[in-house]
Amino acid sequence: MARLELQRVSKLLANRQVVLQDIDCTVNDGELISVVGPSGCGKSTLLRCVAGLDKITSGDIRIGGQRVNDLPPQQRNVAMVFQNHALYPHMTVYQNLAFGLRVRRVARAIVDARVRRTAVRLGLEALLGRYPRELSGGQRQRTALGRAMLREPGVFLLDEPLSSLDIPLRAEMRRELSALHTALGTTMVYVTHDQSEALSLGQRVVVLADGQIQQIDTPDGIYKEPSNRFVAGFVGWPPMNFLDGDWLENSGLDAHCIDYGIRPERLLLQPSSSADAFIAGRLERIESFGGEWQVEISRNGSRVIARVAPNPELRRDNELRLWFRREDLYAFDRATGRRLQG
Amino acid sequence: MSAKGVLVRVSTYAALIVMALATLFPLLWVTSIAFMRAPERFAGTPPLWPDHPTLVNMVNIVHQQRIGYYFLNSLIVAAATTPLSVLVAGLAGYALAQAKFRAHRLVSWIVMFAVLVPNQALVLPLFEMFSAVHLINHYAALILPAAANAVSIVLIQAYARGIPADVLDAARIDGASEWRTFFSVVVPLMAPMLAAVAVLTFVVSWNDFMWPMIAMQKVDMQTLPVALASIDREHYQNIGLMAAGATVAILPMMFVFLASQRYYLRAVSAGSLTD
Repeated sequence: MARLELQRVSKLLANRQVVLQDIDCTVNDGELISVVGPSGCGKSTLLRCVAGLDKITSGDIRIGGQRVNDLPPQQRNVAMVFQNHALYPHMTVYQNLAFGLRVRRVARAIVDARVRRTAVRLGLEALLGRYPRELSGGQRQRTALGRAMLREPGVFLLDEPLSSLDIPLRAEMRRELSALHTALGTTMVYVTHDQSEALSLGQRVVVLADGQIQQIDTPDGIYKEPSNRFVAGFVGWPPMNFLDGDWLENSGLDAHCIDYGIRPERLLLQPSSSADAFIAGRLERIESFGGEWQVEISRNGSRVIARVAPNPELRRDNELRLWFRREDLYAFDRATGRRLQG
Repeated sequence: MSAKGVLVRVSTYAALIVMALATLFPLLWVTSIAFMRAPERFAGTPPLWPDHPTLVNMVNIVHQQRIGYYFLNSLIVAAATTPLSVLVAGLAGYALAQAKFRAHRLVSWIVMFAVLVPNQALVLPLFEMFSAVHLINHYAALILPAAANAVSIVLIQAYARGIPADVLDAARIDGASEWRTFFSVVVPLMAPMLAAVAVLTFVVSWNDFMWPMIAMQKVDMQTLPVALASIDREHYQNIGLMAAGATVAILPMMFVFLASQRYYLRAVSAGSLTD
């Protein structure tokens, strides 16, 4: 177990293109932090830099207090789980699990005991003699996890480990991962492009875009108090509505150099004493999710989505008012995208 | 199966049988001649089958012509060249496919260019070099030039590109050094292509004629093809002796092919390397 510190970490490519810029982040001992961002934001590169697979241009990386900038991957006390598992195709599950200990010259009897213990923990004991090509996606994933666990690393790095699994299996593996983290208590960095995965797994979440950290906070903090327009729009599904244009023309709000946003679940079909402001538009679409409907209204080509309770009185193409409380609006500086408080 | 399917299958097999016969016929004929008595041999074109099979040619080639000696020379050279060449080509091909280094493109181009240089063009400079270091008439004169083969490197480079980079990264994070990664992960994954290159190297070394003829001027050091050619010059009318020598020369290659055909075919049909 170890604390992971990134101090002003930057990475430039040979053509001076910036991949990571001034990354400052501390992952506490035993913490599970998720890193989320759109594809190409640098999140996988960040992980590879921590692992030592890619070199950083400037800054410092410390693992357990030790500066590791110049250490090769094998000396960094990290383990990594890859997106496509990266199991050794020519080795059995047993050999895949044992490889990391074998190259470190751990005694055979100890390797065997640890492999078997880990296999039992991950439900792989019946599969130890199989080759990766004979495993299902979930079994491969568990083998890749086991391979990383066996090393008992200081920091556990996971690069979109669930993205190659189908959706029901993904939910199951997400629960297993979470339980595993609780049981192992290892420092973990979990990279994903899926914001719901990031929020549900991470004790804290790092939102990355264009190689820069946008915000580091608890999942709740990220959702409720986004620091800028990007985070507000990226986290949450359906995404936050930005009330550009003339949605607010008769609300009395200053929409001059400010963008307002509101979460879809904060829009109501009925006014109340506190929800006394509204936006209005033509009802374009109703999508039923059983217990919840998503309705979409449009006005001059701009659209707003609300999550509401099912209501059979709603009719498409009718004018619909969606009510909200003014304090549920988020305000962003139009020029910088920064959140404006109060 | 449809009538068309049957027709396609029949014509495929017919074509394969014709090609197999065309390849096998000269081999069988040579082998057959090796077991013929003198009168049959001198009657113009030799018959396809000996009327009275005999071992006399075989006995002569072993006793009079000391073919075992040349056979051993060839075997030493081929057996030393093959592992060395596979190791060099394996390391170089893998490095060119997966390692990142400054002169990567330049080196790749040089290797590609080396494929285009005919061996005959190298004979003179090679002779100068090996004379200068007094290695003419040594096994090293045949082994060292063959140790780095551009064709083998290019073949392995193409194959090694298919190794997923993540698997190599996983080995590094697991704690394996570059050498350990190469021998524990890369070599097993490239095994089919390495086997194919080994067979090719062995065959090329075994059959090589021009450079061994020039580099091995002492009769004692001659390889089998060179020795067979001189039998032809000395006993030009003794076709049975020639055929016996050729038959003996074929045997190791048949053995190598049969022993490795499983790997060889896998590499030629280029399977995928993903898990």
